[in-house]
Amino acid sequence: MSTSRFVPAQWLPKTNWKTAGLLIPSLLLCSAVAAGPRRQEQHFKVAAHPVITIHNPNGLITVKAWTKSEVMVISTPASDRIEVDAEQMGNRVDVSTRELSDSVAPDDMRADFQINVPEDAELQIHNDAGNVSVANVLGDMNVETVAAGVDLEDAAGYLTVKTVGGSFTCMRCAGRIEASSISGNFRLLDLRSYHVWAQTSSGNILFNGEFLPNGTYSLKNYSGVIEVRFSAGDSFDLSATSLKGKVNNEAKLTPSAHQHHFMPKWGNALFGTFNEGRAKIEMTSFDGTINILKRD
Amino acid sequence: MATITCREFLAYLEPWMEGERPQDVQAHLRTCRHCSSVVSDLELIQSEARSWSVTEQDAPERVWTSLRAQLEQEGLIRDAVPARGDAAEAQAPRAGWFSSLFPRLPRPVLAGAYLAALVAVAFALSGPVNKRVNEARWLKGTQISTSPLSAQLNFAEQNSNSYVARSNPDVTASLHQNLALVDKYIALCEKSVSEEPQNEVARDYLYEAYQQKADLLTQMTERGENVQ
Repeated sequence: MSTSRFVPAQWLPKTNWKTAGLLIPSLLLCSAVAAGPRRQEQHFKVAAHPVITIHNPNGLITVKAWTKSEVMVISTPASDRIEVDAEQMGNRVDVSTRELSDSVAPDDMRADFQINVPEDAELQIHNDAGNVSVANVLGDMNVETVAAGVDLEDAAGYLTVKTVGGSFTCMRCAGRIEASSISGNFRLLDLRSYHVWAQTSSGNILFNGEFLPNGTYSLKNYSGVIEVRFSAGDSFDLSATSLKGKVNNEAKLTPSAHQHHFMPKWGNALFGTFNEGRAKIEMTSFDGTINILKRD
Repeated sequence: MATITCREFLAYLEPWMEGERPQDVQAHLRTCRHCSSVVSDLELIQSEARSWSVTEQDAPERVWTSLRAQLEQEGLIRDAVPARGDAAEAQAPRAGWFSSLFPRLPRPVLAGAYLAALVAVAFALSGPVNKRVNEARWLKGTQISTSPLSAQLNFAEQNSNSYVARSNPDVTASLHQNLALVDKYIALCEKSVSEEPQNEVARDYLYEAYQQKADLLTQMTERGENVQ
């Protein structure tokens, strides 16, 4: 169901011998340069809620939603020692990079992808190094990386992101977000999410979004800074504990209306309710700083 | 001097075990064998608990005898000595006596007695008198749960290091850096736990750090398997 074409093949000249004298040397030069990266474009017709899996060791992966019921995969491998496989199994499209020999240098194990998917697509992306960028996809998403950063924009659904050292930025995301890392920084900006669970060990966490009624927001790190921004109209029940670090607060909190908080005997802790306490925010750090600041 | 009733004494029991000695309570204990016996039992359990930090031994026979007598006196259990004079059963060791209670007692009574014993032990363990004992027990408990885990993870780490040798240098560097970071957090958490063994936040962070290390080593091993 897929069509495949290589870009260099489409540029074969149909012209006279005079121009051929100029074009052929330059084409030879181009083909020599293009011998490594071979851009490949493939199209797959899909039904509603397709699943797209991407397995890549290293590279830039850019996924964007479009209105077509089709998945387009444009891949650019860094060398001819690796190959990109993209195949369709029912309503699932699997994209993976594989080495063609046993002795592929790490630098050659790189492929960049530009992928367009229907907006209700579900994504499962595994990319060790490089970067993953996803925009306007509303289906569930699972992204796992080691060093690669992850940028999500206007995403919804159930979003799970797991990195080892890669940073994670989520802009205007909705739905349910679960993110974990060891040293990655998290930036959660302009969110409209009812459930956020973010945990990183040494990274910073910035949350600047809406606290939806009945929403739960759990932010946890070991060291680093956890920062939440709030506006006067927000309504939340807050719990902030740093075992060995500081808790800085600009919110005028009243004693919590919900007497369920277990007051810890250790560290610096802050509990209280802002306005009606409709959302629930929990922030925990071992020796990091927690900042609860007014939004500018 | 106004004395107090046995029922009122219950409210003073916890402060008493924490070292408070109001005169009216002292007066009541001098005259009430029942309440002074309860206090004696609890003090005995409390003192025995102190020795648990060294070795977790069973309580001596006298503790169980005393507890049993107390439960019998309160009508919670019947005399456990066999009615038909089964000498072998009568001379059974403490464990036998305790286990022999189970088929004899109706379940609610057994539950009540068991609960009473648990409450007594828990109470004895919760007092500040036993703060150091508790800390030692928490520390020991944490060490018991983490030591084998730590050994296994160190073993896995040695193997996974060779696995990732052929991976992308950026990925390998990231994995090693983060492994070092997690090891550092484990060391810091262990230090915190040893300083404040009852600090559940520090313990949670310690367990999570171990979990992270396990996840990381799994990823490293998987990558190694991929490249081999």
